[in-house]
Amino acid sequence: MSFNPFAIADTCLLIDWAYWRRRDVLFKLFNTVFIPEAVLREVRSEQTIEWVATSLAEGYLALITETSDVIELATRLVERTRLIPGLRGVDMPEAICLAIGKLRGYVVLTENRGALMAVDLLEELSSVTVWRSLEIIREVIKRGLINEEPEKIFKEYEVDTKHRFPRTDLEVVLHELKG
Amino acid sequence: MSLKDKLERWRRLEEEAREIRRREADWEFIEKQPPRIKAALKYYIENNDIRLSAKLAGLNIDEFRELLRKANIPVVL
Repeated sequence: MSFNPFAIADTCLLIDWAYWRRRDVLFKLFNTVFIPEAVLREVRSEQTIEWVATSLAEGYLALITETSDVIELATRLVERTRLIPGLRGVDMPEAICLAIGKLRGYVVLTENRGALMAVDLLEELSSVTVWRSLEIIREVIKRGLINEEPEKIFKEYEVDTKHRFPRTDLEVVLHELKG
Repeated sequence: MSLKDKLERWRRLEEEAREIRRREADWEFIEKQPPRIKAALKYYIENNDIRLSAKLAGLNIDEFRELLRKANIPVVL
């Protein structure tokens, strides 16, 4: 499968990945991972700042300034997600990532349930590719960027970041990787 | 899959995630926190809204994620 060499990451994704011992493998998967200014403003902890600053300096991460078309679409998405009962509303930082995903074709990297729901439920976003850590690590393993037991790698991510993959989703991915 | 079915699937996933957060949380740590922090952590466990929870706690989203780690509350996704 081929995908866009560019990705755009939201705050939740960055602040989790900063804690993973193999975090820099993200930059073997994508040429550049963009972060919107709105996301950069939310990054505060030493661990995350250190990783983001180093990666910006090395050119693996790049700052992207929100243009008027992005802000307009993002604002509309924020409103639309609040019109459907049961759909979790997205906030501007995630909406900006989704808007750039739609307008530029970048893979959206997120750990935000609202963003995932929006892509699943809003027809307007059906063309957007959105990956959680689960899908990112799956791609890393599929491409041979880490050659170790998949179970060990996913477990390691959970231990380092205090993240939990839903068991059913993880089993599907592990089955796919073994197939 | 219809919109209604998709919403029901998401509702079930969120209920499973809520159970995991409740089960794994360090309740002793949570109960020892100042009222504002305690309320924000409990709000997160029940509602999985990190940005709003952070605002309730008076913290930045990144700082609140650190607090979740200390409280052993996982992000389930």
